[in-house]
Amino acid sequence: MSDTLQKEEQIKASINAAFRSAKVSIQRKGRIIVEFRGGILPAFASYLKEYLNFKHLSMISGVDWPEDNQFELVYHLWSYEQSIHVMVKVRLDREAAKTKTLTPLWEHAETYEREIHEMLGVEFEGHPNMRDFILEDWDDLPPMRRDFMTREYVDEVYEWRKGREDAQDVRQTIAEQYNTEVPNFNNEDK
Amino acid sequence: MKNIKGALVPFSALKYLGKKPHTVRYPFEKKKTAERYRGFHFNEIEVCIGCGTCSTICQNEAIDMIKIEGVEPGRGDSGLRPRIDNGRCCWCGLCVDMCPTGSLSLTDQYLHTSPDPDSYLLIPGVDNPEMKENISFTKSDTEPLLQFDRVPMRELDGAERVKSFAEVVLGYMQEEARAEATRCVDCGLCVTACPDHMHIPEYIGAIAEADDAKALKYIYDNNPLPEMCGKVCTRQCETVCAIGHLGEPIAIRWLKRYATEQFPDPAAILNPKIAEPNGKKVGIVGGGPAGLSAGYYLALRGFDVNIYEALPRMGGMTFAGIPKYRFPLDSLDKQIDYMKKVGVKMHNNVRVGKDITFDKIRNDNDAVFIGIGFHVPYTLGLTGEDLENSIQAIDFLRRVNIGETVDVGKKVVVIGGGNVAIDAARVSRRLGAEVTILYRRRVEDMPADWEEIEGAEDEGVHIVPQGIPLEIIGENGKVKSIKYGMAEMVPDDKGGRPRPKLIEGDEHILEVDTVIGAIGQEADYSFLPKEIMDELKIERGRVVVNELKQTSIPDIFAGGDNVNRTMDAISAIADGVRAVEGISHYLLDE
Repeated sequence: MSDTLQKEEQIKASINAAFRSAKVSIQRKGRIIVEFRGGILPAFASYLKEYLNFKHLSMISGVDWPEDNQFELVYHLWSYEQSIHVMVKVRLDREAAKTKTLTPLWEHAETYEREIHEMLGVEFEGHPNMRDFILEDWDDLPPMRRDFMTREYVDEVYEWRKGREDAQDVRQTIAEQYNTEVPNFNNEDK
Repeated sequence: MKNIKGALVPFSALKYLGKKPHTVRYPFEKKKTAERYRGFHFNEIEVCIGCGTCSTICQNEAIDMIKIEGVEPGRGDSGLRPRIDNGRCCWCGLCVDMCPTGSLSLTDQYLHTSPDPDSYLLIPGVDNPEMKENISFTKSDTEPLLQFDRVPMRELDGAERVKSFAEVVLGYMQEEARAEATRCVDCGLCVTACPDHMHIPEYIGAIAEADDAKALKYIYDNNPLPEMCGKVCTRQCETVCAIGHLGEPIAIRWLKRYATEQFPDPAAILNPKIAEPNGKKVGIVGGGPAGLSAGYYLALRGFDVNIYEALPRMGGMTFAGIPKYRFPLDSLDKQIDYMKKVGVKMHNNVRVGKDITFDKIRNDNDAVFIGIGFHVPYTLGLTGEDLENSIQAIDFLRRVNIGETVDVGKKVVVIGGGNVAIDAARVSRRLGAEVTILYRRRVEDMPADWEEIEGAEDEGVHIVPQGIPLEIIGENGKVKSIKYGMAEMVPDDKGGRPRPKLIEGDEHILEVDTVIGAIGQEADYSFLPKEIMDELKIERGRVVVNELKQTSIPDIFAGGDNVNRTMDAISAIADGVRAVEGISHYLLDE
């Protein structure tokens, strides 16, 4: 078992030696997860790229964690030589979500960062081209935030197609079938 | 030589001749879509139960529930089916992943253009039955979005249980109840199966929202004995639960029990509004669930209610028949005390026909409700049945519940396979006897609840299925042993369930101290005067009533086991609640 994870263990040891605050775990053969603090991300990414040969940025994704009041950015890096996939996870404060751009290291990070900016509202300092991405004239909450109420938005924005007026409420239909009424105790004083 | 290679190069293209081209072909050939492609919806109309979870979850408000010709509402089916607005759908597939029955899927068909906006509305399965062949995206088995596993209920261990009459089921803790309530998809199909049509999704919703007081209000809206139901209900609701189609149904009964157990005094929470006295009096014969329910809601409406009960306590069969390890006395008392607070007048130890005449009750009141239940046991019809220690389960349970000491000896045989038989067996175990149940059909044919049967087996009750009692053998006027024969199951000529047929010569003798018969009960109408018996319509031992529980005599109403065929507590409560409407209508609206 140990020799099959040799490469991964080596990488883990190197990262730990260089960046003490990085929390490295080996998920399985060929996949490493690094949890890292946001502030010096470009330095860490540059270290992975130049010293550990993770030359390719596959993609960047963003996750909303309102429970922790944080956003999580996940940078997926790939090393062709070692066939290893590293996920660098960075947590940002949800109220002031800001981090440095990785465009100096990988030019194509520009597109991913633009998307995340639009969908979650994360700022990327130093980004050369933070224009609208795919949403036109969006002035609402960024739509991939979990507190964005899709149904409310849909109700407000889109028209109701004609022919849908005969929609029934299941609970009400059942109550009527048996001549019963569902009382409402929702607004009663306690 | 150099030039030969150059001359051959054009021919190397020949190798592509046999390969399938990637370019568009004419005439047009459709390419296969990706696996799990998400195109138009398809719905198995027969499997779908109309729960509306798809409509509830849809973030684009693209799904309506509508009535469809040919789909009838019924037990566990709202009769509605989904219709998709494909102009709104974003094919996220949440509806498919949330579908409790797995009837909804997405197909690999996706082409549709039309200038007619109405054509974007699709009733899956009805408008596109041919797409059944094209199903591609179905519910994920590996990562279900619904929670299919019930929060387990803690129980006393079998060996521990037989030592006393302590309650077996321990009830949910707060966090367990919240977790269980969260599994509910809030569809309301359970209401279709509940005889009393309780507000189940509402009270489960309130428990999930951590508002137990609100849950209690919903529960008491049409059930005044919810703690009893929370412990012993036959819970038809759970048999139709949407989640039950692919997983374990929501523990509706245990959640009701949880809500009621949170409050030592329901009055403090419910703070019921009692109407001004309306001057009308109602007499109720029998203090069982039917009579108590009618009494409670009549009292709330300002009627003057008197309940007459022959036994020393109210509760009817729930007091006399159900053993205390299932339904403890203090729980019953709590509910009865609350009813007294509301103003229901109760008279225990008053047997109508003996301590007070029926005519007097009828003359003193404007209407009468009869909820006497089935308390007279059927006899087995065996030789030796009149021997000492050959007793009836229903009498046995009543005596134990009243607090009499009953000696059943060391070995007991119970005859029958219903809940009463199981109760008698489990009580005998607690009195220290070795117990055998003799049942004429197979275990799976037993009318008793499966968990009662399982509970009995856990406690060491021995069940002999397909055993038909032949004779009770006595010695000195006392039961000594029982002779029974084994039976084989033969198909019924009339198309009913298989019947047991005695196998010649396969007879056994079992040494016993007590034989307990439990093959059914009937009502005792001897308290009714002859004129009333002549006028009152009774069919097969049951009083005939209309929708509002009114009998053939206008001022007499009836409910409970002596009226309905389901013969359980919740049906009796439902009868009582309906009779309140009937009595109010009869006495107040002319």
